[in-house]
Amino acid sequence: MVKTSHKLEAVSLVQSFDGKCALDKVSFQVQEGEFLSILGPSGCGKTTLLRILIGLLKPTEGLLYKDGVDITHTPAAERGMGIVFQNYALFENMTVLGNVEYALKIKKATRQEARSKAEAMIAHMGLKEHMAKKPHELSGGQQQRVAIARTLVLNPDVILFDEPMSALDADTRLMLRKELKKLQKEFGTTMIYITHDQEEAFALSDRIMVMEEAKVVQLATPEEIIDSPANDYVRTFVLQNLQAKIDSLVKYVR
Amino acid sequence: MQKTVVMKKRQYYRASGGLKLLLGFIFVILVIFPLVRMLAYIDGGSLSKVVASTSFPQAVKNSVLVALTATAITLVIAYALAMCVERSGIRWKNMWNLVLVLPMLIPSISHGMGLIVLLGNNGLLTRLFNLDGNIYGMWGIVTGSVMYAFPVAFLMMKDVLKYEDRSPYEAAAVLGIPRWRQFTAITLPYLRKPLISVVFAVFTLVVTDYGVPLMVGGKFSTIPVLMYQEVIGQLDFGRGAVYGVVLLIPAVVAFVFDLMNKDRGNSTYVTRSFEASTNKVFHLASYLYCGLVSLCVLFPIVSFILLGFARNYPIDLAFTVKNMEQALNMNAGRYLMNSILIAVLVSVLGVVISFITAYFTARMKSKASRLLHLIAITSAAIPGIVLGLSYVIVFKGSFIYGTIAILIMVNMIHFFASPYLMMYNSLNKINGNLEAVGKTLGIGRLRMIKDVFIPQSVATLWEMASYFFVNCMMTISAVSFLATTANKPVALMINQFEAQTQLECAAVVSLAILLVNLLFKLLVYWMKKILTGKKSKNTTVVKEGCA
Repeated sequence: MVKTSHKLEAVSLVQSFDGKCALDKVSFQVQEGEFLSILGPSGCGKTTLLRILIGLLKPTEGLLYKDGVDITHTPAAERGMGIVFQNYALFENMTVLGNVEYALKIKKATRQEARSKAEAMIAHMGLKEHMAKKPHELSGGQQQRVAIARTLVLNPDVILFDEPMSALDADTRLMLRKELKKLQKEFGTTMIYITHDQEEAFALSDRIMVMEEAKVVQLATPEEIIDSPANDYVRTFVLQNLQAKIDSLVKYVR
Repeated sequence: MQKTVVMKKRQYYRASGGLKLLLGFIFVILVIFPLVRMLAYIDGGSLSKVVASTSFPQAVKNSVLVALTATAITLVIAYALAMCVERSGIRWKNMWNLVLVLPMLIPSISHGMGLIVLLGNNGLLTRLFNLDGNIYGMWGIVTGSVMYAFPVAFLMMKDVLKYEDRSPYEAAAVLGIPRWRQFTAITLPYLRKPLISVVFAVFTLVVTDYGVPLMVGGKFSTIPVLMYQEVIGQLDFGRGAVYGVVLLIPAVVAFVFDLMNKDRGNSTYVTRSFEASTNKVFHLASYLYCGLVSLCVLFPIVSFILLGFARNYPIDLAFTVKNMEQALNMNAGRYLMNSILIAVLVSVLGVVISFITAYFTARMKSKASRLLHLIAITSAAIPGIVLGLSYVIVFKGSFIYGTIAILIMVNMIHFFASPYLMMYNSLNKINGNLEAVGKTLGIGRLRMIKDVFIPQSVATLWEMASYFFVNCMMTISAVSFLATTANKPVALMINQFEAQTQLECAAVVSLAILLVNLLFKLLVYWMKKILTGKKSKNTTVVKEGCA
């Protein structure tokens, strides 16, 4: 069954755990090559949504389409999507190269070219001299790059990020932000980025989806959210916090 | 295609669920069922006979008295040792750490024998210093028990001190709080929980042991000895079971306490570790104290060597192998092979089963997993001698009785909880998102286990094997009722030789066990070094605090 072709389309997704509602009829569409942030405080349901999108969790109700095809019940590995976690989740016993080529190596179709593809991807991420190192010998930013390389090497057309920068220091964040935007342009990958950081969402996104208590409250471009916040919640949680951050910095700017 | 995937998944879940059920079933059959059978063996007759006897209340009193005294002494000795090794900046730490835990590598019964050889009527030290040679009775048991229990307490204390955070003390110092107040306000509250764990561990170890009291108890009877005599001498399982229940009480209390103790704690913060003290008096005292304790540890071992390999100690010190030949003539060689075979098989089997169990409980969390976890650690609450008796009651007369297999089974269950917990903790520490990563990258669970989880826990796997092996080599408690001439492990010969006043042969056997255990420990040490490489992550993290 092929529907109109959005890259990703969620239709009325519901998730309940033991009678508690974690997602309440969430619907939205993501376009090809778009950078969408899902912004909200902890416990608003954004991680639950992410786990459904990637296929780690079956929604209680609702449907999920990718390129118009129903993928609600497709296993995670067959969705052509990748995920990058906050705590990197690298294979600690393998080298950087081992981490990146592992998934390619165990599949017949990609076994032959696994090494060369992995090496090229590692070089692309600026990690060439760290190829033979184990994850614990790398900095947090480098580890996150390895995690991104491990995902990118499988050529996913959608990548999900689960607060990937919250464990990093400010400098590294800024650098990695730029790199993410660059990668998105180069590979044309659709990126869905989960964060509770307003600044990050505004700096990176084409559109932002603000969530509150299991519901979507606004899905719009950063400019639209600033111009016309959907309700008080968006005004306080998103805009006031953002303004406070800007104010605290502005007094130093001459 | 989707359908087949869904079906595969369903099959997979059914298989893993089935395996969980099977493991749970195995534990129930091998742990709980025998215990219940043993309890059912108690009838009114044997219960009233035991309770009405004069020996029973006396033995209870004796047991409690001995265990309390030994625990108190052990605690003081071990705490002081741990302070010296962890905090004083003493050199040759590896050596101290090795020597001070040597007593853990020989059976408790050998410690009793060591006392006889050194301080008994004809003992080396007795003659040297003209002592009265009366070590039999309460103080003999206390001394022997302390000898074999203090390394356990030492290791636990060392860990506690190693991970204690220095920053509260620094904060207190800045606030001008005096040292003694720091001790009552910071040290004691911090030590309370782990200290109680150590107390329970040592108390249970001592109160359920029959090796030492059998050797040096004399007329001072304890519950495990009564139980041993009842079962081995009179073949009265009913009365044995009554004693078994009595021994079960402290072990179960300790188990439940530990369970509650652990569930609450375990929060780790970034801590600043203690620097080695620069106090010269402390430094010197540490050398003296560690040296003294090491001497006490090495004395019996040296005496075993002298006794076992001198022609006629102390008159003729010429080297001889006649005692070894004598021991071999009495099948010590065959029984040693039995022990090694049992130890190797238990290690392999134990490691495999505890890994699978820990994988389920640590990496596939569910209600069933929690239940499986609880059943898996239950064996820690059953003293070896009690487990042994319950196995006799269940398996006597069955085809498995009198074979190596039953000893493998009983040892695996007896020593299961600790290695299982090692793996459980190790797997729990591995990043919780790895399964999700595997799923999205299209890597199956089994594949992940083989390529990621096993390689990451290989050091722990060897530690577990070492624990199983060493304990199987030296245990006498769980196996004593189950061994026959066909499957006897070598540790049980010590008792037999002593009864035949062949202390020389008993010394040879004790040394053989020590040697095999040392060799295995060495093997584990090398394997870990080779497999994990020289750079250990933990050491760099722990030593961060030297600013």
